[in-house]
Amino acid sequence: MPSLPEDDRSELFDEAFLKKLEYLHVVSRKIFTGGQRAERRMRKVGSGIEFADHRRYTWGDDFRYIDWNVYGRVDKLLLRLFEEEEDLHIYLLLDASRSMLIGDPLKLHYAMQVSAALAYVGLASLDRVAILPFSDRLHGRLPPARGKNRIFKVFEFLRNVEVGGDTDLAACVEKFVHQNKRRGLVVLLSDFYDPRGFEEALNTLRYNKFDPFVLQVFDRKEAEPSLHGDLALVDCETGEIKEVTISRSLLDAYTREHEKFCGELRDFCTARAVPYFRTHTRVAFDDLILRIFRTGGFLR
Amino acid sequence: MSFLTPIALPTVLTAAAVIAALAVVAYILKMRRRRFEVPFSTLWQRVLREKETTSLFKRLRRLLSLLLQLAVLALLIVAILDPRLGEDDRDARSVVIIVDASASMKAVDERPGGSISRAPIPGSEAEGAAAEAAVAGDDGASSDAADDSAADDSDDDETRIPRIEAAKSRARELLDSMGGGDMAMVVRMDGQTTPLSRFDSDMALLKRTVAGIQATDTPADLARALRAAADALRGRPNPMIVVIGDGAYPDAVLERIALGDPGASNQGADDQTDAAQTSARSDGDAPDRANTDNNRGAARPDPNATSQRLDAIDLRGIALHFVPVGQDDQNVGIVAFNARRYLTDKTSYAVFVEVQNFGDEPAARRLIVYSGDNPIDVKTVVLKPGERLRQLYPNLGGGEDNRLRAELKPLDDSATATTNPGESPSPPGPAAAETTTAGTNSATPAAEASAANEARRGDVFALDDRAFALLPARKRQKVLLVTLDNLYLEGAMLVYDSIQVDKLTPDEYEQALGGDLLSEYSAVVFDDYTPAELPPPPTHLIYFGPTGEHSPFPIRETIPAPRVTDVDDSHPVMRWVILDDVNYDQSAVFQLDRAAGEVALGSYVRAPIIAAKRAGQQKIVAFGFSLGGTDLTLRVAFPLLLVNALDWFAGDDADLITTYQTGRRFRVPLDGVYDINEVDVALPSGRRTRAPVSDGHASFYGHTIGVHRLSARTDDGGQALATIELAANLANPAESDIAPTAALRVGDAVLTPPPGFRVTVRRSLWLYLVLAVLAILAVEWITYHRRITV
Repeated sequence: MPSLPEDDRSELFDEAFLKKLEYLHVVSRKIFTGGQRAERRMRKVGSGIEFADHRRYTWGDDFRYIDWNVYGRVDKLLLRLFEEEEDLHIYLLLDASRSMLIGDPLKLHYAMQVSAALAYVGLASLDRVAILPFSDRLHGRLPPARGKNRIFKVFEFLRNVEVGGDTDLAACVEKFVHQNKRRGLVVLLSDFYDPRGFEEALNTLRYNKFDPFVLQVFDRKEAEPSLHGDLALVDCETGEIKEVTISRSLLDAYTREHEKFCGELRDFCTARAVPYFRTHTRVAFDDLILRIFRTGGFLR
Repeated sequence: MSFLTPIALPTVLTAAAVIAALAVVAYILKMRRRRFEVPFSTLWQRVLREKETTSLFKRLRRLLSLLLQLAVLALLIVAILDPRLGEDDRDARSVVIIVDASASMKAVDERPGGSISRAPIPGSEAEGAAAEAAVAGDDGASSDAADDSAADDSDDDETRIPRIEAAKSRARELLDSMGGGDMAMVVRMDGQTTPLSRFDSDMALLKRTVAGIQATDTPADLARALRAAADALRGRPNPMIVVIGDGAYPDAVLERIALGDPGASNQGADDQTDAAQTSARSDGDAPDRANTDNNRGAARPDPNATSQRLDAIDLRGIALHFVPVGQDDQNVGIVAFNARRYLTDKTSYAVFVEVQNFGDEPAARRLIVYSGDNPIDVKTVVLKPGERLRQLYPNLGGGEDNRLRAELKPLDDSATATTNPGESPSPPGPAAAETTTAGTNSATPAAEASAANEARRGDVFALDDRAFALLPARKRQKVLLVTLDNLYLEGAMLVYDSIQVDKLTPDEYEQALGGDLLSEYSAVVFDDYTPAELPPPPTHLIYFGPTGEHSPFPIRETIPAPRVTDVDDSHPVMRWVILDDVNYDQSAVFQLDRAAGEVALGSYVRAPIIAAKRAGQQKIVAFGFSLGGTDLTLRVAFPLLLVNALDWFAGDDADLITTYQTGRRFRVPLDGVYDINEVDVALPSGRRTRAPVSDGHASFYGHTIGVHRLSARTDDGGQALATIELAANLANPAESDIAPTAALRVGDAVLTPPPGFRVTVRRSLWLYLVLAVLAILAVEWITYHRRITV
């Protein structure tokens, strides 16, 4: 197994970074004018005050919510449904596998900065934000917190995130859904380089009523490598060695294959109405955040 | 196609096998690859899975790469073996072109643009016409051929070129006609034989070599050149020697040439050569074969008669050809020139000149003898064809210059009779009154008329029209006798009129040591007196009866009643001296250091009693006996000894200074100077060179006519110890006989110009093979970097 590349995170969240976060927060407030605290609404029966819909009464329902007026008019038992306003839970699932330690800047650092930015926006919107790094397992968690004064705990947590291991999206997501019963938005920050595929993980989230939000990070040299000569390619996670002689046609084929892989992820998300963003590490993280805001999906 | 295989075939094949094995091993061995970390090898696997569908082709491409490497190796090996396309090697000839650069090649009688093909062939019409012209000239009658000859003679001399230029032109023409397979070597022949190239097929290079040949003032040494050529051709296929010259070679040399088939004595390697030659000539080279047969056939009646001579020039198995140059045969030259002083009157001298007419027409010339730049005699000489005139000029005097020069000039060149080129005219001296001298044979009126015509034109060979000689230097000396009245000694001094004698007693001598008086004397004679202090050099010294530690030579012992049993009559002091019956009461025996140049002039058995040496500029002669105890003073030998010693001191140790002949190694005595390694030589052209010294003699090869000046200096290059002059002349009748020979005869064989060379297209392929290798490597490089062959 190759040794870990240099992973210096001491300068990752400095004063300038914090200013950028504040700026992003202001911008997000402008984009979503009229936003209120905890204004994200969950369709949940009974617990809210604003009428949402009717449905048939079934055994076990709380008959306190039976609309007796309707029963008097149409002689049917219908249950009144209300929209319950509640705090939004934002789970930031951060890929901390070994493959994230590749790139310039490191994909991990980039993903951490994006995570911090999203966390700040969430915290500032009084949502409950939790961060869960993962690789082939969950590397601890930052418990859900609210309020932007908690951002420093976020920084501290991210600085100390343990990195390493293979990527196993499905296993980690499976574990995540079992540990977190409060549904919410799950932002999945990863390169999605999982030999077992990403489909199962995303489906698991969807089936468990989480709202997945996919953010794929890659390094541009991963997409268009500038290699030449006879090489022994070593997989940084599995250590698998593949001997190749790089040719122009091989590089072209690889670029096409990488594009195809990203296209598969995009198509999967699009088909299931899962917000999908893809960025390489040369794009400034604040630009990415603004793009996310403009496109929507993260905050409503 | 043939292979020259400059490197032995087994060596090449061994090296090729090793390199091929290394290439295959390198192909089999996997090269350690550079490791590169990728985040997700699954993508690469997918790509490679697609690519593996073409893995067979890929393997083939790698195999192709190996095959390309082996092909490159094979091409290089073939290139090393130097393959040649075209005619077989047996057709190629090995030709030594001997260009005559002897003195006679300086004759200016050739016309520009001549060619080998125009050279007259024996038996041809041209030769017949030439022969007729010669006959007509002898008879004094006119004929068409003679008219043609006259017409030729009337051509402007400015259009003539030296024979050496014509020879070079012929050589270039010969080289142009050679084929790609022929190898040639250029040799310059004068007094020495100088190979100017190795065997080469680069005709352009050989032509440049030919262009650099210059004629010298030395006679041709044909024997040495032919031997060198035969040695160079030994073992080579189709050997051939082509001599390009005027044919002015001694008959004695031509008689020593052995042509024909190799004899039984030297079969073997020569058999192979001859077999190849025969084979090569049997496939259509008719003219060459005919010529070779001619040579062989001519020598066949007695092929071994010449070769059995000890001094034979063995050219059997070698085709010998001759390309003649030269048109004119009229020449009058000085073949001998010497001068000597009279022993009894050194102010007078005699000059000997020998002039010969080498042409076939009568000739008249003005013979002028110069002393320095002043003519001392002018004579018109009329010579019949072939006549040699010996002229002695007795009792010449006047002129202090010791350099004499004789010149032959055309009769109508009177304006320049007293003038040398570049010198101001000077009036003839009193002895320069012109006289006319006819040869010993009385000339007919027709011959005189012809001679007059010829004389106006002059001859084409100017080198032998000048000759140089040197007279021994005549120097008046002041001699000091340090003696207590010795009438014998003083009387003996009276016989020599070139000296002024003074006398001092030993006491007066010691008083005079402090002043400048002694430095005025050229020589001092110490009679029974051995001073502690000597006059400074270059004052020379003679001792009679030296004694004590100040003796010029250490005294080993004193012996009673000695007799002189051994005389070194090669030394100038002992010239003509006989001491056999001279009596001595006693004599000192000297201890000589021969390594320092001290020589015993007279010895009793092995005990030197008369000795001489040279110490720097000072010469010393010592007699171990006193004049008072010998009857030598009553003998003729006594004044002779004194005169010889004083002449030796003056550098006038010979009444005749030898005139050297160019083309030989000059061995010049250095007037007793021993302790130096080399001398400076100023050549007549002004150029300076150095010559080694061995046993008191400087030796160097004489290239040019004229006066050479040798300066013997101390090894640190400072003080001049001695200066010697010598005169060098051509003085070679064989060279002065410039009559061109249309075809040389060797035995009954006639040497003809070589037939036209068949141009063989025989191209060297190695360059093309190397280019192919480079092309393959370029393709490999491009395809590799384009990832086509990887």
